Amino acid sequence: MPDTSDLLVISDLHGHYGESHVLHGMNLSVRAGEVVTLLGRNGAGKTSTLRAIIGILGQREGSIRVSGTETIRLPSERIARLGIALCPEERGIFSSLTVAENLRLPPRLKAGGYTDEEVYGLFPRLLERASSQGTKLSGGEQQMLAIARIIRTGANILLLDEPTEGLAPVIVKQIAEVILSLKQRGFTILLVEQNFRFAAKVADRHYVVEHGKVVDEVAASDVTRRMPEIQAYLGV
Amino acid sequence: MATLFGIPLAALSGQLLLGLINGAFYAILSLGLALIFGMLNIINFAHGAQFMMGAFVAWLSLTYLGLGYWWALLLAPLVVGIVGIIIERTMLCRLYKLDHLYGLLFTFGISLLIEGFFRQLYGVSGMPYAVPEILTGGLDLGILYAPIYRLWVVAASVVVCIGVWLAVDKTRLGAYLRAATENPTLVRTFGINVPVLITLTYGIGVALAGFAGVLAAPIYSVNPLMGSNLIIVVFAVVVIGGMGSILGSVVTGFGLGILEGLTKVIYPEASSTVIFLVMAFVLLVKPAGLFGKETGGAAQADNGHARSERGNLKTLGIPLAVLLAVFAVAPFAVYPIFLMKALCFAMFACAFNLMIGYGGLLSFGHAAFFGMASYISAYTAKQWGFNPELSILAAALVSGGLGAAIGGLAIRRQGIYFSMITLALAQMVYFFCLQAPFTNGEDGIQSVPRGHLFGLIDLSSDMTMYYFVLAMFALVYLAIVRIVHSPFGRVLSAVKGNEPRAVSLGYEANRYKFMLFVFSATLAGVAGATKALALQLASLTDVFWSMSGEVVLMSLIGGLGTLLGPVVGAFFITGLQNYLAQFGAWVTIIQGLVFIICVLVFRRGIVGEIQGWSSDLMKRSGKLNAGASHGESKLSTPPA
Repeated sequence: MPDTSDLLVISDLHGHYGESHVLHGMNLSVRAGEVVTLLGRNGAGKTSTLRAIIGILGQREGSIRVSGTETIRLPSERIARLGIALCPEERGIFSSLTVAENLRLPPRLKAGGYTDEEVYGLFPRLLERASSQGTKLSGGEQQMLAIARIIRTGANILLLDEPTEGLAPVIVKQIAEVILSLKQRGFTILLVEQNFRFAAKVADRHYVVEHGKVVDEVAASDVTRRMPEIQAYLGV
Repeated sequence: MATLFGIPLAALSGQLLLGLINGAFYAILSLGLALIFGMLNIINFAHGAQFMMGAFVAWLSLTYLGLGYWWALLLAPLVVGIVGIIIERTMLCRLYKLDHLYGLLFTFGISLLIEGFFRQLYGVSGMPYAVPEILTGGLDLGILYAPIYRLWVVAASVVVCIGVWLAVDKTRLGAYLRAATENPTLVRTFGINVPVLITLTYGIGVALAGFAGVLAAPIYSVNPLMGSNLIIVVFAVVVIGGMGSILGSVVTGFGLGILEGLTKVIYPEASSTVIFLVMAFVLLVKPAGLFGKETGGAAQADNGHARSERGNLKTLGIPLAVLLAVFAVAPFAVYPIFLMKALCFAMFACAFNLMIGYGGLLSFGHAAFFGMASYISAYTAKQWGFNPELSILAAALVSGGLGAAIGGLAIRRQGIYFSMITLALAQMVYFFCLQAPFTNGEDGIQSVPRGHLFGLIDLSSDMTMYYFVLAMFALVYLAIVRIVHSPFGRVLSAVKGNEPRAVSLGYEANRYKFMLFVFSATLAGVAGATKALALQLASLTDVFWSMSGEVVLMSLIGGLGTLLGPVVGAFFITGLQNYLAQFGAWVTIIQGLVFIICVLVFRRGIVGEIQGWSSDLMKRSGKLNAGASHGESKLSTPPA
């Protein structure tokens, strides 16, 4: 049962892309300060769930409450102002903006975000490349930039969509460290991942998504015991 | 006297200054277009009308409020910007999810509305606007005497352009703008209100046009048509520069202005067409434009008009037979001249609709084919004594050839660029017809003999001529039906539906588009030639851009992509013009309104809506029947 400390509560969420019905009654909740992942195969509806939360999925029904506020009818800029930020799967770095402009693009919404010094402390490469074109960065650097720009705005709920996709193992390790340090700082994170080993390292709980709804929930402490089940969910 | 390559230096520098001034206007206007296009993905056809509105605000505020030039420089952009914002918020914002072509059509309607409104109130003669006192007089620069006001215009334009460029490139708001141009959805998730940003961009873009209008007021006289010819040149400028960069559009604007000035010295006859020639050349060597980035295949938005007519020739034959029967008896009830005129426009609209409805190509230059053909048939019939069938054939061949030239260039770009290119090239044809001796310029070719068909049948009586026009119409209509239902037509609808897919299947999309263009131009030529004989007149009206607009309107109101739609639309619009002819500029106003209403709420057109209703009805009754039979089968199945 969702209790009052739940920051994000989704109940009976349905979503559509044009004609196709992609979310079929999602239910999940995330408590303040938690890192929760959505696991599942390709096309299960993980990314669509994140897009629905931030309000950019074509059509949504059901309920999404953020810190107690119902957002199902709000436009995405209003939802964002409640303190949610998305780091999209394709990273969304703007090619007509420099690295520094990309970083400063999202306006500060609330107090409590990282200062510029803290951001550059966490991602020193971004300072070195500050004046180059955003899309001239390497894939890993672009991923760092995509995370960096949403942690300085004061948003306290981060939606991270496959931050490790297509990156070298050494970068994946760095990103895991970044996520753990974000967690320490008190960010609430909803993470979509295909890389279960990565997810297991950073998350408190895992939701398993299949056919547009949550079919199972695994606490971090149960992961070892339930490994065969999880592998069956994710196996091809 | 000092000369350079045999040209007096004073004349050269004088024309260069004039060119620079034109360039200043091109730069501000194309800058505004580029800003708006970046955010809204819409080519703002009303830009010329909004430029004119700026000049009028200056004139009105001086005449009625006693507010001088400097106030106007502040007031006009504000007024034009606010009107623009109201238009965007109430109407334009509904079109973003549709094909970009609807934005072009909508803003075209707005420009007709604004222009018609001012014409109705102030006529076309033009009002003088004095140069502000402080800027009167001139400077002797040694090689030329330059009026201070003209220097001021150039300076003001440079300052504004640089200001806008700095604002977009260096400020935070500019960063929002650039980011939202790339990916508006993501920018919204950062808590930035993109819809407001879009509205603001449109407001600022048209305010720039208003500002340019005030600058222009003392140079050109303030008149309702000052914007419409300018905007076509600006479209060409935009195609040449590519709309990728702000600085690019400014540099292109000034550069082409200077080039135009130079041409005026070297070869004055070409000065009005040189920019269009440059455009043609740029399209050949670098289709994306000098500063443009090549965007991969046209990402076609939802085609509202992507409905091609299914059904076989048999079902199509019935409405045609009914139609012909009605037309056969019509001249006994209605004035035959009016019917002939409407039938010629119906042919023209059918030819145009062949391209938009079955190729997805919105040509804004079909008047070139219609008008050129009407000149050719009028000329050959009158001067060379050609029989009607020969003069029509000659005209069709010429307009087909013209179609090959224009089409060959235009299909190098897609979507709205295609429309702008056809418009610009057609304007070039217009200037040619204006200057060429055989067209008699403003007078046109009058009292064209109708002649004897095949040397036998005298067409001079209106009734005989009417049946000849009707036969021509039937021929054109059947040719179109044949093309649409041929294998060639099937490939076209594949290309229209999904061009990359069709290309991947091995069809050379461009070759098909080219052939379609030539077909459509030829048939438009047949329409124009028949019109010249029927009404015994070929004039500049036939080849002017407003004629291209009219044929778009006819097809739109009748139903784009339906076979009968253009016919219905042609009769509707011709009838409207007939009734409203006595009310002067009201025709333009009403045409503008019809455009706007069609685009906003009536996109399927008259025939499209009727087809939509009937197919809905059929679906519904089909469902009911299915439900009923389902129920029956249940009842009749005995329980096991």
